[in-house]
Amino acid sequence: MAEFVIVAGAEDLKVGEMRAFEVRGAKIAVANVADTFYAFDDTCTHLQCSLAEGDLEEATVICPCHGSEFDVRNGAVLQGPAREPVETYEARIEGGSLEVKR
Amino acid sequence: MPETFVIVGASLAGGSAAATLRQEGFEGRVVLIGAEPQPPYERPPLSKEYLRGESPFENALVQPSDFYRDNGIETRFGVRATRVDATEKAVELDGGERVAYDGLLIATGGRNRRPPIPGLDLEGVYQLRTVADCDRIREEISPGRTAVVVGMGFIGSEVAASLRQSGVEVAVVDRNKVPLRRILGEEVGRVMEGIHRDYDTELIFEDTVAAFDGVGRVERITTHRGRRIECDFAVVGLGVEPVSDLLAGTGVEVDNGIVVDEYCRTGVEGIYAAGDVANHYHPIFGRHIRIEHWQNALRQGPAAARSMLSKGEPYEEIPWFWSDQYEHNLQYAGFHTEWDEFLVRGSMEERNFVAFYRKDGRVLAAVAVNRGRDLRRSVSLIRAQRPVDASGLCDLSVDLRTLVDAAGAPR
Repeated sequence: MAEFVIVAGAEDLKVGEMRAFEVRGAKIAVANVADTFYAFDDTCTHLQCSLAEGDLEEATVICPCHGSEFDVRNGAVLQGPAREPVETYEARIEGGSLEVKR
Repeated sequence: MPETFVIVGASLAGGSAAATLRQEGFEGRVVLIGAEPQPPYERPPLSKEYLRGESPFENALVQPSDFYRDNGIETRFGVRATRVDATEKAVELDGGERVAYDGLLIATGGRNRRPPIPGLDLEGVYQLRTVADCDRIREEISPGRTAVVVGMGFIGSEVAASLRQSGVEVAVVDRNKVPLRRILGEEVGRVMEGIHRDYDTELIFEDTVAAFDGVGRVERITTHRGRRIECDFAVVGLGVEPVSDLLAGTGVEVDNGIVVDEYCRTGVEGIYAAGDVANHYHPIFGRHIRIEHWQNALRQGPAAARSMLSKGEPYEEIPWFWSDQYEHNLQYAGFHTEWDEFLVRGSMEERNFVAFYRKDGRVLAAVAVNRGRDLRRSVSLIRAQRPVDASGLCDLSVDLRTLVDAAGAPR
């Protein structure tokens, strides 16, 4: 059963920032897009680079290795070479903490 | 009569162009012609994940194989176009078919250089361009076998790494002091040399192959300096030359590839070129350049297609490519042939840096090893073509994007 897991404080991730967290055995990235938080698999579906080490431009995450682009809101591929979307997860601020559901 | 657009070269550039014609609403006839039997596919995996058997061929397809039929794109795969008749506006194919065109896009790419080295045609001596080439090399791979890789450009370097990763014992031979010296210079070449050395590759530099020897099949190579290296097989990667023979007699200018303007147009009405074969005028660099990389094929094919539909815009993409070797990710952006200043941000020793090739204070190009984020942030600096502050470039605490703003250019 998926459940919400606290990954950071509510203020830790500023607007325009993203970071990867270990959530119940998986590396999940969280991006702060205009104070809405989006969680997605940190591992690029192309050749497994860490997306959190790339750039976040509004709601688009860009892989640092090969330039694939994904929409952090739904995981969709916006630009290859990746072909498969990344998995997304629910993220929320609850009681002063940033939580990811997995 | 509806118009007919013919694309010669069922490649990344050609396949993407065909898709763009349909996406842009073109309802006439589209004919996609390719010498290889497969539908268009991407070549980067051929020296890396596909060569190592980690990724199936289907993952390299530009479009799913039924895409062309579903979109009313006629295909002639496995058929070579032999000649363009620009007067009659027709393409002649092997086997005699003539396909009339209103617009013609040439995306024939390149062929590997075959220098006159004795024994180059021996069995067991391979080149790598097509998936068929790659499949032949794959059959030779098994742990403990020995290979010689000739040429340490990008293809040779990646093949050498993939072979080592697959357990093959590898020796490399290159005429330069270090790998990739011609394009990246000696400093970056040293870093790449160190990476290959770490994986116990035998590195033979400043030497060239005099002959491939063997009875019926390659057994060893000898070099001009007298080295003899036994091997089970060899892979030769000594560069590529553009394929433009079919345009002979058309009046299309050919000089280091097919010469086109920033709209991918040749000087002959109705004939366009894109991808590896196109020596295109680049408005930002103010000169013609020819690029043999994935991103250029991906973007320039569609740019040419839009030009054919009279919806074209100047093609001024900043060239960019990557090269994965072992666990290391190298990326390059921009275009440079010479530089008066080489600036490093990060640590070459730790293999974590981006380096800038500057001329007159402007960043012409950047190369990164394991520092892709900074490389991407350098692209707008390159596009801006304005002098930037050197100390900011090298200061890791400075976000490169702010330097673009400081130079007064859009990101």
